[in-house]
Amino acid sequence: MLLSLASIPFLYLLLRVREISRAELLAILLRPKTIEIIFNTFALAIVVATLAVLIGTLFASLIFSSNFRSRGILLALSSLPLAIPSYVFTYCWIAIWPNFRGFWAAALVLTFSTMPYILLAAFAALRRIDKVQVDVARSLGCNRLRVFTRVILPQIRNSIAASTLLVVLYVFSDFGAVSLLGVDTFTRAIQNLYRASFDRQSAALLGLILVFFAAILIFAEERMQRRTINARSTARIKDEIALITKRAPKAIAFAAIIAYSLLALAVPAYVLITRMVGNFQGIDFTSLATATFNTVLVATLGATIAILFALPLAWTIISTRSGFALATEKVVLITHALPGVVLGLALVAFSSRITWLYQSVALLAFAYALLFLAKGVGATRTSIERVPNSLKEVATTLGVSPWETMRRVTVPLAAPGIGLGFLLILLTAMKELPATLMLRPTGFDTLAIEIWSAASINRFNEAAPYALLLILIAAIPTFILSRPDRQFQEEGGRHQ
Amino acid sequence: MKDKRVSRPVAAILTMILGATLLAGCSNDSAPEASELTIYSGRSETFIAPFLAEFEAESGIKLNVRYGDSAELAAQILEEGSNSPADLFLSQDAGALGAVAEAGLLADLSAEVMASVPARFASADSKWVGVTGRARVFAYSPERVRQLPTSYMDMSNPQYKGRFGIAPTNSSFQAFVTALRLATGEGATEEWLRSLMANQPKYYEKNSMIVEAIENGEIDLGLVNHYYIFEVAKALGREISVKDGFFADGDLGNMINVSGAGILSSSKKSDSATKLIEYLLRASTQEKFVAETKEYALLEGFAGPAGLPALNEIAAPSVDLNALRDLKATQELLIKVGLL
Repeated sequence: MLLSLASIPFLYLLLRVREISRAELLAILLRPKTIEIIFNTFALAIVVATLAVLIGTLFASLIFSSNFRSRGILLALSSLPLAIPSYVFTYCWIAIWPNFRGFWAAALVLTFSTMPYILLAAFAALRRIDKVQVDVARSLGCNRLRVFTRVILPQIRNSIAASTLLVVLYVFSDFGAVSLLGVDTFTRAIQNLYRASFDRQSAALLGLILVFFAAILIFAEERMQRRTINARSTARIKDEIALITKRAPKAIAFAAIIAYSLLALAVPAYVLITRMVGNFQGIDFTSLATATFNTVLVATLGATIAILFALPLAWTIISTRSGFALATEKVVLITHALPGVVLGLALVAFSSRITWLYQSVALLAFAYALLFLAKGVGATRTSIERVPNSLKEVATTLGVSPWETMRRVTVPLAAPGIGLGFLLILLTAMKELPATLMLRPTGFDTLAIEIWSAASINRFNEAAPYALLLILIAAIPTFILSRPDRQFQEEGGRHQ
Repeated sequence: MKDKRVSRPVAAILTMILGATLLAGCSNDSAPEASELTIYSGRSETFIAPFLAEFEAESGIKLNVRYGDSAELAAQILEEGSNSPADLFLSQDAGALGAVAEAGLLADLSAEVMASVPARFASADSKWVGVTGRARVFAYSPERVRQLPTSYMDMSNPQYKGRFGIAPTNSSFQAFVTALRLATGEGATEEWLRSLMANQPKYYEKNSMIVEAIENGEIDLGLVNHYYIFEVAKALGREISVKDGFFADGDLGNMINVSGAGILSSSKKSDSATKLIEYLLRASTQEKFVAETKEYALLEGFAGPAGLPALNEIAAPSVDLNALRDLKATQELLIKVGLL
């Protein structure tokens, strides 16, 4: 059932593309613009992923290995950009620097918004490394760099690769930054086709090409994951691996992380706060409260539905490895790369005749669940997989039924990881805009809607309080996600 | 022990789901009343909401308004087809209305409504009617631009090289290029676009960004709609030095587009919807549009907004707004020359 629900957007795209004649199809595919869009999208994805991986891994290693007493704060600070929607980021940068535009501007904004995915995943993977291995390597005469490249890196590589995939899919689907900064990626081209010529067919074709590329990437990433090193002791390792102990490098690392975070956070904070203060008497507190309530309500519902879908899916994948379940997982991942508009229109096409469902809170929550399910399946699957088989076997020998085992052993042990997947979806759903615009109940305003509504007519002062509040609320799940003592089961690390 | 920690949030979530389901149920029950209208509005809430509130108070008809981007709402209506919950579609431009009309989803408007505005501001087959007028102009800095352009053709003049801005992805620019294509032909339009590009324009995503760029000194002039100078001044909270300029009489650069309204053929409340259109086209309402949203009234005999010349003084070219819905050929052309 989940597979058929998850396939709705793809069926929709196929349906629309079938309306195009073959000659026209070829003409669209071969036009230079299409090639340029493919090039732009990939160039942006590669640049952003490279920067995010470099910075994310570096920061995770620095924070992890430097034994900073303030590592909690550092981790939270450098993850906080996750709470800022890319369109808010972009508006703020344009506000202080009107010439902020083009490919590199978009790469900068998207790196800020996606780096935390890598950071958190890498940090979590680092925590699982057995300290003994490091000691052994050191005693065998490896220097620190060699320890990192030979012992540590191979063990965190899979987690990083999995979250890199999420970063790339995010860049594919992002609209806010690329549209405001004028970079022609798939999402912007698709949106422009709807905007200017109501051309649903060509837009759908571009959507399908995007799906095709996302699928290739997903399979490539899976290939990479097969070469897995499985060297993990079951014991919980509490010790930190202190690789950087000298004071000077420690200070430099500390300064670098603080500088980066300030660069990422200062601009939005400065712009939004000054704009809000400048227009303080104009703030409508009732609508602020309603929008906040609606945002939290529908995002929570969406994240809940996503986890309710993810649990049985992850369970089936792990216990039966059925091709069907694995296919569903791939479909869910591809959905993550789809622009919100495409998913929105697909759901409009399929649900508009069902009056009780169409434009209801439930439909919007379902849309969030579909869009962000990829994050939930990853987290759920990893955390269930990590429950040691020995515990389940003990339960079975004690005569406990499989259902009881799941209820009393697996779920409680996997719960923290699943909970973090929930938070990640919650956070992302709060920031979602294009699907929200189409699927919300008429008159149902969320914080993202209010920001769009004011910003679309350049009333940035009026948008500022909503944007600030959205960031503050989204910062709560971000903060929980980034707590170092949390056993963070990285959202994308599906195969450990 | 862990069990407890997990079960509390789970319980909280379940309660929320239940609550939301009830909430959703409630809002659905009250929907199909005769005295309610559902509007899809591509016009932004800030500008149109005061008018809609006045209509609600006056008529006793409750309005459920769904705000969005005109084109995206049009795409949504096209997907909904005859299942659309919307009764009335208010659009920022004629193109989105034309696209919905072409799909056969708009009902015929009454002869009285059609007669209230000049025929050039309404659909020829009575499917939609213009509500307010939006003039294409050049915005400019009076200090820095000594010699004003007299035709859109002048934008490829070397004296403006690198000094002007356009927004090629914006629907207002594309509507203008469509008008050019229809009036001067594909070849001449392509030639002009190429000479325009050779004159090194700066490209922007939105009209308002062009006006801001002129105010900031980044560029000196740009092709926009007339009301953006007011919008930007309002957004910045101060007077700005940028002015609107019109080209010579009858120049295509002075084209007038409209925001408009159409009633969906699937609506069972076309009487109430007609009342709303009549309210929007009433002289007192039109006067308020001029004063508050700084748009042009479409009824005869109104002055222009904030000191701009009146609609009948602009000497705008005759452009068939019905033809603006098909932007496909325009986009092909823009793609061909490399502007899209």
